Amino acid sequence: MPRTPYARPVLAGLTALTLAAPGAAAAQWTAGGDNSSWGLDASLILEGVYYNELSHGNDSPAGFDDGHDHGHGHGDDHGFDDGFNLGHSEIKLDAQLGDLFDGVLTLGFDDSDIEVEEAYLTTRALPGGFQIKAGKFLSDIGYINSRHGHEWDFVNRPLVNEYLFGDHGLQETGVQATWLAPTATYTQLGVELLQGETSGIANYEGGQSALNGQERILRDRSGPRLVTAFAKFGPDLGPDHAAQFGVSGGYARSYQVTDEHSTRFEDWDGSAWFAGVDAVYKYSSGRAYGHGDWRLQGEYFYREIDVDRRDVNFEADGNGPVGFVRNEQSFKNQQDGIYVQGVYGFAPRWEAGLRAEALGLSNDVGRGDGETFGTSYRHTAQVTFRPVEPVFLRAQLSQNDFVDDHGDRDRGLEFMLQLNVALGAHGAHRF
Amino acid sequence: MSYRKTRIRMTRTLATLASVVLLGLLLLPSQAAAGLNIVATTSTLGALAREIGGDEAEVRVLAPPDRDAHDLDARPSFMAALRRADMLLEIGAGLEEGWLPAAQRGARNRAINSGQPGHFRAADMIELRRSITMDGPNMGHVHEEGNPHFNADPLRLADIALALAERMGDLRPDHATTFTERAERAAERLRDHAETLAEQVQPNQRIVVYHEDLDYLEEWLPVEIVGYLEPAPGIPPTARHLRSLVSDLEGTEGTVLHAAFQPARGAEFLERNLGWASHPVPLDPPADSSLEGYLELMATWAETLPQR
Repeated sequence: MPRTPYARPVLAGLTALTLAAPGAAAAQWTAGGDNSSWGLDASLILEGVYYNELSHGNDSPAGFDDGHDHGHGHGDDHGFDDGFNLGHSEIKLDAQLGDLFDGVLTLGFDDSDIEVEEAYLTTRALPGGFQIKAGKFLSDIGYINSRHGHEWDFVNRPLVNEYLFGDHGLQETGVQATWLAPTATYTQLGVELLQGETSGIANYEGGQSALNGQERILRDRSGPRLVTAFAKFGPDLGPDHAAQFGVSGGYARSYQVTDEHSTRFEDWDGSAWFAGVDAVYKYSSGRAYGHGDWRLQGEYFYREIDVDRRDVNFEADGNGPVGFVRNEQSFKNQQDGIYVQGVYGFAPRWEAGLRAEALGLSNDVGRGDGETFGTSYRHTAQVTFRPVEPVFLRAQLSQNDFVDDHGDRDRGLEFMLQLNVALGAHGAHRF
Repeated sequence: MSYRKTRIRMTRTLATLASVVLLGLLLLPSQAAAGLNIVATTSTLGALAREIGGDEAEVRVLAPPDRDAHDLDARPSFMAALRRADMLLEIGAGLEEGWLPAAQRGARNRAINSGQPGHFRAADMIELRRSITMDGPNMGHVHEEGNPHFNADPLRLADIALALAERMGDLRPDHATTFTERAERAAERLRDHAETLAEQVQPNQRIVVYHEDLDYLEEWLPVEIVGYLEPAPGIPPTARHLRSLVSDLEGTEGTVLHAAFQPARGAEFLERNLGWASHPVPLDPPADSSLEGYLELMATWAETLPQR
């Protein structure tokens, strides 16, 4: 009885793909079957990205400089270099303590940094539909925020998630409590108490040294400094359709920024809040290899930063001596962003997607005399091929249509080729 | 002053909300105690549970029977169903590994956690055939425990029915005897029906199947699997692989079987080049079936083959 041989062309093609992307060829790792005896699953996700900037537009969208580029504690840059990049790779370890706890550790790395992305425990045995998660984790607000890069339909993070929260989304250390209602319609409610360090919504600087007896306004504030809440609903739509709708919001009781200008420090101290909605719809055609399937997804978030500003000279200048205080004001930044995307399985193992994004539909920045900036856009198209289940190759073309601080619009075009390979144990896919 | 009022109102709203939630929680267990609320991943397991549970159980099937049970999402509606379940029936051995663990975790229901009596893993109750994914290179889809597609084997299902009745009896001791009696009857019908159908098929049949999902037919029908349309599990048929199948099987007789959701192209190629008949068949009975539905499915499989 002939047991089918593995098709050589497939293997040869895979080998070629693997060699074509840097980094992806770096390691071979399989989680040993022996490991499963003590409940540890390991997986390694390797990613290579070839990036080519076809034409250069504005670097960043107007109105989102402050608070975003000041994110400290992130060593890595979310931008790609022209040419080959290691992309965002991960090692994930999963283990269970009986049926009481699940533990997860995710280490994210690129060619220069390694970072603990998530390290948390989830309870599995609380009564009444309750669950507690504690540790460092990606917040469950919105939809894409809690998903890792290899679960995304596009190479990069939506603008709204990157610029309203941070390069890693809303990733925090803290405690989450959720409750699932005993209803036919999926209804989940959750709250999170978080330390509050994410650059876009809860940037934290702590106390800054006084200067010549001139106190600065930034103070130490003990955590948790950020609280979030969310609700998710998922009606039962039968075998072909599935959907989930969410609302979420959060309040940071501390939002601090400091900026060093040529002769003075600029300090902001205040609070921030955000709110948003998200929706996902999936159509399953019932055909093999995802052929004919649809996924539609969209999110909108609004953020308001309410701060006091005070600048202090650390060097004498035309305005005054060292310790001279000016620009004392209170102001608000009111900004938002949205994205909508759709992905369609146009052939077995092939999918194509479109994403439309707008950042700063409201873009009021109160600093100084206050200014209302224009809206930036980005349009993205992708084609993805999955030769085998744990491997995908994605080509993506993005047009950035960013407006700059002077209201000038410039378009840039970027091409990306992404190879992503998951080795070892495969965690189950979330909806 | 107005600030204080808002606070009082908020406290009141919160108190009301909390009491509603508590009331809901208190009412919940008494509701569930009536019948056994069973969630089954596939309709084959659902059919067994319905037959054994009768009026004493309510059964919900998650995976649509006309879909590949490997490739599902952990849908919110699955978690909502599992949240209220007394019992989860899964095939196991990796069949549902792509979505069930996430749905189980999301259900926040200890009763159906792995290791609890409310979690029934059918693969643990029987001996599995070797999976072809265990040989050859690891292509990311390895069933280390063996072939999980034993829904095509009524003899193994008979054993599973008996084990399932015992477990259901553990959860509802009042009905334990009834469950066991029903399971014994079901097991007998499965075995008898298998024997009858096998006798009607001409001996020494050779079949080509799409995936290893019909391998278990060898266990009860006079058939031998002589090839797979997929070059490797999870990879659709390639022209090269199909040509090599044709050259291996040229001059022999047989039948091609594939699941209705699998592309028919490969089967049609063999039909043209070998003159073999090809049949799309369901792999599981309709979602709301009891044992009757599964017995009909067995006949559907057997009748695709040349009859005596």
